[in-house]
Amino acid sequence: MSAINRQNTHIIPVDFQYHQPETVGEAVKLLEAHPDAKPIAGGTDLVPKMKQRLLEPGHLVNLKRIRELQGVEDRGGEVYIGAATKLRAVERSETVQRRLPLLYSCVRSIGSVQIRNMGTLGGNVCNASPAADGALGLVALDATVQVAGPGGTRTVKAGDFFAGPGKTVLGRGELVTGFTVPVPGPDVGTCFISVGRTALDISTISIAVALRMKGGAVQEARVALGSVAPTPLRLPEVENWLKGRELDEATVREAAGMVSGGIKPITDIRGTAEYRREAARGMAMEALTRAGGLEGRSQG
Amino acid sequence: MSHASTLQVLGRDTPRQDGVAKVTGREKYASDMSLPGMLVARVLKSPHPHARVKSIDTRGVSDPQAVTLTPQEVPGIRFCPRLVSTPEATYKDWRVLTDKPRYVGEPVAAVAAESEEAAQRALEAMRVEYEPLAAVYDAFASMEEGAEPIHDVIELNDQALKVERNVACQMEAREGDPEEGFKAAAHVVERTYRTSRRYHAQLETKSVLVRPEPGGGVTIWSTTQTLHNTRILIHEIFGIPMGRIRVVKVPLGGSFGSSIQVNTVVPIAVALALKSRRPVKLSLTREEDLHDHCSYQMVFRLKLGADSDGKLVAGHLDAWLDIGGHQVQAYPLLGCVVGWWVSLYRLPHKSYVGKAVYTNKVPSCAFRGYGNPQITWAVETLMDELAEKAGVDPLDFRLMNYIGKGDLFWGQGPTVKSIIQSCGVEEILSRGSEMIDWYNRPKAGSQRGRYRRGVGMGRGYHTSSAGAPVPGTVVDFGGAMVKLNEDGTFDYVSAMMDHGGGTMDANAKIVAEELGVPIHKVNIVNADTGTTVYDVCTHASRGIYSGGGAALKVARQVKDKIRENAARLLDAYPHALKFRYDPERDQAVIYAEGVSGRELTFKELAYAMRHKNLGTVAAVDSYRQPSCPPHFTGYFVEVEVDTWTGRVRPLRVVAGADIGTVINPKLAAGQVHGGFAQGWSMVVNEDLPHDPATGDLLNRGFLADYKVPTTRDMPNLDDFTVFFTDTYEPTGPFGAKGIGEGALNPVAGAVANAVQNALGVRFYDLPITKDMILAAVGGKEGQA
Repeated sequence: MSAINRQNTHIIPVDFQYHQPETVGEAVKLLEAHPDAKPIAGGTDLVPKMKQRLLEPGHLVNLKRIRELQGVEDRGGEVYIGAATKLRAVERSETVQRRLPLLYSCVRSIGSVQIRNMGTLGGNVCNASPAADGALGLVALDATVQVAGPGGTRTVKAGDFFAGPGKTVLGRGELVTGFTVPVPGPDVGTCFISVGRTALDISTISIAVALRMKGGAVQEARVALGSVAPTPLRLPEVENWLKGRELDEATVREAAGMVSGGIKPITDIRGTAEYRREAARGMAMEALTRAGGLEGRSQG
Repeated sequence: MSHASTLQVLGRDTPRQDGVAKVTGREKYASDMSLPGMLVARVLKSPHPHARVKSIDTRGVSDPQAVTLTPQEVPGIRFCPRLVSTPEATYKDWRVLTDKPRYVGEPVAAVAAESEEAAQRALEAMRVEYEPLAAVYDAFASMEEGAEPIHDVIELNDQALKVERNVACQMEAREGDPEEGFKAAAHVVERTYRTSRRYHAQLETKSVLVRPEPGGGVTIWSTTQTLHNTRILIHEIFGIPMGRIRVVKVPLGGSFGSSIQVNTVVPIAVALALKSRRPVKLSLTREEDLHDHCSYQMVFRLKLGADSDGKLVAGHLDAWLDIGGHQVQAYPLLGCVVGWWVSLYRLPHKSYVGKAVYTNKVPSCAFRGYGNPQITWAVETLMDELAEKAGVDPLDFRLMNYIGKGDLFWGQGPTVKSIIQSCGVEEILSRGSEMIDWYNRPKAGSQRGRYRRGVGMGRGYHTSSAGAPVPGTVVDFGGAMVKLNEDGTFDYVSAMMDHGGGTMDANAKIVAEELGVPIHKVNIVNADTGTTVYDVCTHASRGIYSGGGAALKVARQVKDKIRENAARLLDAYPHALKFRYDPERDQAVIYAEGVSGRELTFKELAYAMRHKNLGTVAAVDSYRQPSCPPHFTGYFVEVEVDTWTGRVRPLRVVAGADIGTVINPKLAAGQVHGGFAQGWSMVVNEDLPHDPATGDLLNRGFLADYKVPTTRDMPNLDDFTVFFTDTYEPTGPFGAKGIGEGALNPVAGAVANAVQNALGVRFYDLPITKDMILAAVGGKEGQA
């Protein structure tokens, strides 16, 4: 049967079994026992995929009843965020607003209030979209992904978590339980910018930058872009080039050129590859300028 | 104006009768309804843009409750789903289910089952064999010799009509001597413009519920702008006597013109209900809805000439309409395109050639403005260019040439002509230009740097109805019933539909004003075809002007009857009686002035009439408006263009509207806000392209990839000014005109002109995407 007669965002004509575990251990067991199981939290990505018949899981494992997956915790040098914490809760968390302003900006950029009231940070990451703003923030902040599985727990760097569009490094029976996000020091400036077709849209292109500065010089840089490659993309060559350099308008301009040349965008319905390359240049200039505290001095 | 100060109900913000139900989610739309024993239907859609159905095999459907429907099982007649024009202007090329699909998504078969999921499973068990045919997605390619014919024969006025070169219909018009006119012109500009296809994105997808009745009739609840035309079409297709077809009014979840025609789901659901003998509900998914309708994509070649004083002397317009796979109202639209064009500015010499062309794409239908936003964008863009060439300020250029009071107006096409009797154009332009500080706007292209600001303006109008002193090819009349209830309240009954803009409340206010009672004394009745007289359709911004005109006519008759009956009971002369409202009793009172005891409240009157068996005070009548008054609008828009990302933001909007007497100021301003949002999006955002590889929509119908603006894309409310002119339309109810479409029509021109003012670059294709802006800025001056 042709796609047009199968795919919509309204009907799930396929049966599945629904499980409601109360602990991570139970969830892992269920996921391990049923290879065609999918974990569900907010469902804002999964359910449309099921209606579109892109996924037809035989089992759904609801994670919303597992208390240990919920909440934001200030642990001093780092902030821990449970994977099933609603995006809206992350956004409204004072800890996140105060200590992780970059992540706050990224999360606020996701969907609408209604969507953020349903979707979770873990879902935003595990959906593994290269356009996921939450995932981009975690990559730029060098967060660690906490994973539980049949073999116990393990950790993965956010930058290493994605294997391609819709693909992660999670193995069978594995589940993301949370994120450990290092809190940037007072010498770190950050900036997130995204462009969509409208204000309420998946990013056509997005950039997150973190710069540790000393005087006017860059000590350490993290530059990550969304929707320009199969996964959220860090640009180590740009980061290394920036390291130790005095951040002035010329440096910003040159680095922005490297960003534009360093990404691997494609043309899709949201924008052309040429547009993304050109926009990446301007967005990198703005993000580096703002993260580096040059704001007001350089506006092109 | 003195008239405004005497009004008691009109001109004030009053709560809507359906307001609480709507904001609390308790309003029930067609898609919310269900009946005992109801089946739910799904439509099997063509995956091919052009094909012949060789066979449909339903043997795989194992569900014993499922009822299937194939093209062989529906009446084999050709019809046009829109019944607003007279037969000589109504081209018929539709069938209930097709055996020759002409666009991806065209209904080929259907199935009803116990639930939507069961129907979907049954649908997936059906097998269709197609013979694919060559498909064409461009109007010009479609007209080329050797292009695959999309329709061979269609029908016009009960006659078979052969289609040549995929041209669905065409129209030419000419006045004066344009060739000589252009020769005499000192300044001439000619440009080619291309608009996009836009999806209506109305909140409610097309839905219908049909209940078969004993005796072969049907009751229909559907998303529609017209109850009576729905009944007529179902009668035409199925031959059911009209008295046995009852179309019931249900709240409409938005439309923007997409339900002027009877929706494709309606006859399909009727056929399934008749076959299954059970109620059948059919609601399109959002994806199906995107495959069901969109705006008309138009290409214009427009040429205007002005003399050395800045007076327009001649114009020529070629218009090509890419209509998709079927005609909904292409021929009347060809008339409107020329009508909209020639009614904007005085052109002594003019000529027009319009062609509507079939392509293998989603069929186009009216979308708020009905071609007016498209042509007004082109005209308002070209007026700026021509003014620049003539060395005249664009605003002054418009003031020198606009069509206003006393001029002939034929916006609704060559057969709908009337004289303009009220006009607020000058007030709109003078007040608006002052508020935006027009004459100090930036010089085009003078700015450098990342962010560049521009101010642009555009003006226009839309008709209020398609009324005229003589009949034309457009049907336009309505009707109403008003009756006095036994407690002194009134029922207002009309077949007119409310899209959501508050039309019915406005008309109830007109009734209340005439009868001298507060709005809460007039109850809006949700009626049906059996209890109302004909109303053509809520479209053409005619709800208040025509619908309210009918309501006023009937309210006056009711008032006369109150007078006559009260005169009898009070032993007074009817013409001597006076009316007043008594807030203490919350009753209107009719009385003989200065004579003690000779008075009755409306409640007392109705009470006495009941007990004396004098009957009900009621009136029902039809009404045809004698004119087609334009409601004028003008927008001044300030934008900011980010030359690094190509993003355009609206900073400030000043909008003026001449809608005659304002009935509900907040709702009228709301129309302007919504009109701006849609016009803005038309310029910087919306398009519904087809994928030439598959013939399907590039977004395959998914709304995630069809973006419409939200409040976050709009200016702050403090930066959005709406003002209404002090005007009075002599033919309108209490001086009122329409607003719905005029609120949109000039927006695209104003926004495009503002972008040009910011960048010094003019665009001739819509939408002006971020890519186009970056390419244009980069091409012109390199990265800033």
